[in-house]
Amino acid sequence: MALRNDRAVQAARDIELTEIEDGYTLVGGPDDSVTEQHDTDRIPEVDVDQEMLSGTGEDPESWLMYGGNYEQHRATTADVITPDNVSDLELEYELSVGTGSSMEGTPIVVPGDPPIMYQTNGPNHMKAIDPREGEVLWSYTYAPPIGVELCCDDNNRGAAVLGDTVYMTTLDSGIVALNRYTGEEEWHTQTADHEVGYSATWAPVIYDGTLYTGSAGGEYGVLGFIAGLDAESGDMQWKCDTLLEDEWVGASREHGCGTSWMTPTIDEDRGVLYSPVANPGPDFDGTVRPGPNFPTCGTLSLDLESGEFNWGFQSSPHDVWDYDAAAPRVLVPDVSVEGESMDLVVGSDKSGWVYMMDADSGKLHERSEEICQHINMWEMIPHISEDERVPFVPGAPGGNDWQPPSYNPATGLVYVIHQNYPQDLYWRYEEYEAGHPYWGGNLDDPASEFPDEWNGAITAFAAVDPATGERVWRDWIESEDDHYMWGGSLSTATGLVFNGTQNGNFVAYDGESGDRLWEYEFDVPISASPMSWYDPGEEKQYVAVQVGGSGWLRQGPRGDTLAVFSMDG
Amino acid sequence: MWEKTMCGENMTHANAKREISGADQTKLAMQLGATEVSDRPVTWSDLAGRIEPDRSPTLEAAGATIRTELAERLDGEVLERERDRLAARIERLPEVRETGVPNEPHGCYEAVADPGWRLYEHLAEGEFFERLDETLPRFTPGHIERTARELVLTTPLSAALDDVGFDESEKTALLIAVANDADRLARWVPSNQIPDGVEFDTETVPPLHRRAMGGALLWIRGLDRHLWQNEVLVTEEVLDAAVAHTKTMLGGLFLSATAACDIATTGRLTDEQVTAAFAAGTAVQIVGQEELLHEVFYVTDETRAPSKLR
Repeated sequence: MALRNDRAVQAARDIELTEIEDGYTLVGGPDDSVTEQHDTDRIPEVDVDQEMLSGTGEDPESWLMYGGNYEQHRATTADVITPDNVSDLELEYELSVGTGSSMEGTPIVVPGDPPIMYQTNGPNHMKAIDPREGEVLWSYTYAPPIGVELCCDDNNRGAAVLGDTVYMTTLDSGIVALNRYTGEEEWHTQTADHEVGYSATWAPVIYDGTLYTGSAGGEYGVLGFIAGLDAESGDMQWKCDTLLEDEWVGASREHGCGTSWMTPTIDEDRGVLYSPVANPGPDFDGTVRPGPNFPTCGTLSLDLESGEFNWGFQSSPHDVWDYDAAAPRVLVPDVSVEGESMDLVVGSDKSGWVYMMDADSGKLHERSEEICQHINMWEMIPHISEDERVPFVPGAPGGNDWQPPSYNPATGLVYVIHQNYPQDLYWRYEEYEAGHPYWGGNLDDPASEFPDEWNGAITAFAAVDPATGERVWRDWIESEDDHYMWGGSLSTATGLVFNGTQNGNFVAYDGESGDRLWEYEFDVPISASPMSWYDPGEEKQYVAVQVGGSGWLRQGPRGDTLAVFSMDG
Repeated sequence: MWEKTMCGENMTHANAKREISGADQTKLAMQLGATEVSDRPVTWSDLAGRIEPDRSPTLEAAGATIRTELAERLDGEVLERERDRLAARIERLPEVRETGVPNEPHGCYEAVADPGWRLYEHLAEGEFFERLDETLPRFTPGHIERTARELVLTTPLSAALDDVGFDESEKTALLIAVANDADRLARWVPSNQIPDGVEFDTETVPPLHRRAMGGALLWIRGLDRHLWQNEVLVTEEVLDAAVAHTKTMLGGLFLSATAACDIATTGRLTDEQVTAAFAAGTAVQIVGQEELLHEVFYVTDETRAPSKLR
C-alpha cells in the first residue's frame, strides 16, 4: 500500500527534529493532528478487557502492552520457533513506515481475524496495521506545539490498549487516546507543562481502568512525577511527585528532577507499581542538592490506587554521573532462593550492574556480577580540579540505558544490554532557566583518552540469573562506527532470545548458552525492542522489530522499516 | 527516642577510627604554618602549641555581625538542650557500630541524628542560614587556613569536642577535613555568591550552611535505609566508615551548635572564634558527607562483601 498520499505520514515527515543548544526541538508539521483512514473496516471488533490484559503474557496470540505483560517479561508463549528450527526463520515482509525518524518502539498486537497491530514511532506517529498483509489501515500524527524541548530525539516507544481505545504519550508531556477502529482522537490530556521542559516518550500502561504514565525532562530541572489517569475520560486521578519532601534540603527539591521516563511495571497481587527513577537535577553539580537525593537513580514502588509511596532503592545515590535508572523494572515471580520462594524486582541500571530487590520491601536480594566494565567509576567528581579529565566506564549512557530487559521463564534468566564506552565528565556552574538545561557540568564523548583497561567492545549483551546474580553468559559486541546498541530483547517460551544490534544484525540467541543461532542483516542499526505473536488464522508465529538508528548519542543512520519475520506452525 | 532494638544483630566490633596518613599530617602542619621539623605525630594539641595566633579582622567583623544580627533569632534554651542531647547521642555511636547493620530501614542512625534535626529546624526557622551566607566569607584557601588556625587555638571549642568523645586523633582528623581540602570546599558556594552569568536560581538553592547541615543530616538518616537494603554488599569496613563519618558530621554540627549557643547565651567565644566555629562546622559537615558518599554509598565490586549466593 502506497503511503505517499497518506496525510498523517506526510505530517510526521514534515515535523523536523532540529538540534538546538539545549538538545532538540520540533519544527514544522501540522497545526492540528491528522488521521488518515485506509481500510478501517478490516479491524475486527474485539473488546480488550482487563481479563485479556492480565492474561496477555500467557496468550500466544496477543501482545497487548509494551512489556509483553504487566511484569514486563517481554516473553511470548508462542512456541513455533525453537532453537532447532530458528535457522529457518524467514522475513515475511518489510513495511516502510514512511516517517524516517526515531524508531525505538515495540508494537502491540490485538488478536482477531485479522489480528491488528498498533505501531508507533517518532514523532508521535501511530499506525493500525494488518500484520498478515503488512498493510496500513489507518495512520495518525499528533501535532506537537511549538517549543517542545527534547534532550534525546523525538522518540515514541509504543502504545497501550483498552476496549475500543488505543493510547500513546505525546512529546509535549501528554497522553492521546484514539478510537482504535478509526484512528480518530477521543481525548488528549496534558500531564505537565512542556514549556518548562517536560516531555513524554514511553508507552503508557493500563490496569483496572487507570492509565499510568510518568515524566521526562531530567535535563531541564523539572520535578519528576508518576500519574494515574482515568483511561475513559483522560481525567487525572492522582499525580505523585517521585521526590519525597523530607529527603531534600529546602527548595532544592523543586528542580530535583527524578523523572520516570519508561513504562511502569504493574504488580497485580500487591497492588503496586515499580518504576525506574532517573537522575537528580542538576545532573553534575551535587553541591546544590546535598544528601542522597532519594530516590533518584533507582527504583520506586507506589500504590496503584493512590500513588502513595511504598519503597525506593537507589543504585547511584547523590548521582553526579547521569547514571539514571531508566530501563523498565522486571518483576520475576517465585524465584527459588535457598529453598524459599521470592518475588524479585529486577532493575538493570546505568551503573553497570543488575539489582534484584525483594518485591515486598525493596531490600536488595543480590547485585549481579558486573555486566559492563567498571573503570574509574565513581572516582572523578568532585575530587579533581576543573581542567582534569579522567575517562570512566560506564559512561553516561550506562550500563543499561532505557533498553528493556527480557525475562525468559524457560531459562529462568534475565537478558540485559549494557553499553561499555569511556566518557569524560567535567564540572561547572550553570544557570537554571525555565525550559533550559540545568546540568552543572558537561560530558565529553568519547573520552579524551581511552583507558588501557577498556576492552574495545562498546556493548555487552548478557544473561543474568536473578536468584544468584551470576552472569551466566555475555556477548561482547563491537561497532566499527562506535554506535551504541539501543534496543531491548525478546524472550520465547522455547528458550530463544532475540535482539537487534547497532550493526543491523537481528539475532536469535540460545538463551541458555548465549550461542548465536540465527541472524538477519539490515543495512542500518536496530534501536527498538522486538515482540512476537502467533496467528491461528495463518498458523504462523511472527516476530516484529522496528529498524533504524535512534538515540541521544551515537545513534547511527536513520531507517523507517517495520520488519516482520514468520515461521509456519 | 533511642531504642537499641532498632539496631541489628550484634556483630564483631571493628575499629571505627580512621587512620591518618603521614602525608595528611604534614600537609596540615604546612597549611597552618607549623613548618619546623618534628619527629612527633602532628596532632591537634601539638599544633595548638606550635602555631601562633594570627588576628583576622575579617573573621572578627563577620563574627560581630553574626552576633549582633542573629542573637535575637535564637532560643538559647532550645539550642542548649538539643546540643546537650546531640552530645549524648554522639557518645552512643559505638553502640550503633556494635550492632552492625540496622534491623530495619529506619532506626539507629536516624535516632542518633534526631537532636541535630531539631537544631537544624530551629536555625532554619529564624533564617539563620541565610544570614550566615550573607555574612561569612566564601571558602577560599585563605579563609580556610584562618578558620583552621582559629579553631585549633580556641580552647572552648577543643574542650567541647573532648566533651562529646572526640579523642586526639579524631580531633586531628576534623582539622584535616577543614584545612587540607580547600579545592573541594571551594566548590560549595554560598547561594548568594554564585557569580553572575553562572548563577543558579538562588530561590531554589538553599544557603550553603543549610546545605551542609541539612545534607549531613539527610545522609545520616539515609544510612539506616542504605545499610539495611544493601546488607549483602556491606562489609565491616563499610560499617566502620559509616560510623566514623557520622561522627565527623555530627562533630561539625556540634561545633556549629556550640557557636549558636554561645551567641544566644554566654558569649564566651570571641567574635573571631564564633566565625571560625561556624565555618569549621560547615566545612567538616561538607567533607564528612562527601567522604561518606564515596566510602559507604558507592560500593564497587572491589569493596563489596563477597556474594554468598555464587
